[in-house]
Amino acid sequence: MKKEPKKSSNLPLIIIGAVLAAAVIGGYFYYNSSKPNPNRANTNTNSNRANTSATASLGATPPNQVGSPTASVTVEEFADFQCAACASVHPVLKEIQSLYGSRIRFIFRNFPLGIPQHDKAYEAAAAVEAVGMQDRNKFWAMQNLLFENQQTWTGSPNYKQIWEGYVQQIGLDVERFKIDLASRDARSRVDADMQRGRGMNVDSTPTLLVNGKGIPLQSITVANLRQVIDAEIQNAIKTQPAANAPAAAGNTAPPSNAAPANTAK
Amino acid sequence: MTELVEIERDSSPMPKLPIVAAVIALVGLVDSIYLTIHHLTAEPVPCSIVSGCETVLTSAYAEFAGVPLAAFGAVAYFVAFSLALLAVFGNRVAWLLFGLLTVGMAAFTGWLLYLQAFVIDAFCQFCLLSAASSITLLLLAIFSKFWRRNN
Repeated sequence: MKKEPKKSSNLPLIIIGAVLAAAVIGGYFYYNSSKPNPNRANTNTNSNRANTSATASLGATPPNQVGSPTASVTVEEFADFQCAACASVHPVLKEIQSLYGSRIRFIFRNFPLGIPQHDKAYEAAAAVEAVGMQDRNKFWAMQNLLFENQQTWTGSPNYKQIWEGYVQQIGLDVERFKIDLASRDARSRVDADMQRGRGMNVDSTPTLLVNGKGIPLQSITVANLRQVIDAEIQNAIKTQPAANAPAAAGNTAPPSNAAPANTAK
Repeated sequence: MTELVEIERDSSPMPKLPIVAAVIALVGLVDSIYLTIHHLTAEPVPCSIVSGCETVLTSAYAEFAGVPLAAFGAVAYFVAFSLALLAVFGNRVAWLLFGLLTVGMAAFTGWLLYLQAFVIDAFCQFCLLSAASSITLLLLAIFSKFWRRNN
């Protein structure tokens, strides 16, 4: 008994066409929804992140931080080592760290952007983490060298050799650095920071948060940051119970390396 | 009509294989489109199972002639889906072509896995999903030949 084919000969073509249409239309909408706004490239629109900073994943633990972990003001930077704007604000942030010392907690987060122009950014982030794994204090020296010499290594095909030169310069074991750079541990720390950044809707670098509040790129100047940080310190003092006031005052004492002008506000 | 009935009889031992293959090809297609879009928008992809997704996806091997590698994957999966679907409707030639395509896709997958493991030294979970999809497609194609030979 011959069975009459139940399926129309056009049906597979219709399904294939439908899948193609769904792929193209779905892809188009997804592309548009995830495409970064060009106006926000290398600028900072990080408003309303105060709530997300507390709920986002922790990032690399322990974080790369200086200052006091218990300070009332936390300055958190998300940066990419191949981002020119990050290199340009680096001296500003160094000065802020120096000015406020233990009165703030400064955290550096790796957030290498996955764009072709920043092809060495992820490895650079892993490189500073590899240095940090060998000597946590030298992390900052390496971070400094990478930002200050950004143009040198970014344009060089022998960038890894240049980094190894920096490692030697800061007095660390180059062979150990190579092993650490290739390790999963260094990358895991970078990935953890990136995961935190994504959880906080970080979409550009540098992204700077002072107690979770975004600071626009054009406002990342020493004068502006001092205003914001001082206001946060004052807020923290005001909101603390009276009984804790003396302790709080003690906590905000300027560090030995802070300029006297810092406290005048 | 006679030919169609004959085709139905020939493909009857494992009529579900092409359906499974079409579904897996769809998974690979969605995965590849996702990776292509993330490559084009430079948005990082979630990297929770393995580490180093960005290393893989921003490496020199992530594109060929300026076109994201994932886009080639999307085309391959779409062709694989189309062929598997035609096979579902009894087209033997389509299933044969599907088998040939999966051999090529799996070979390319092997090369990409080698790059991730030994050259880039990092893995990307969405790349691994694509690898699993293409290898499964090859296994389905092999299994269908094996099944037919034994029946």
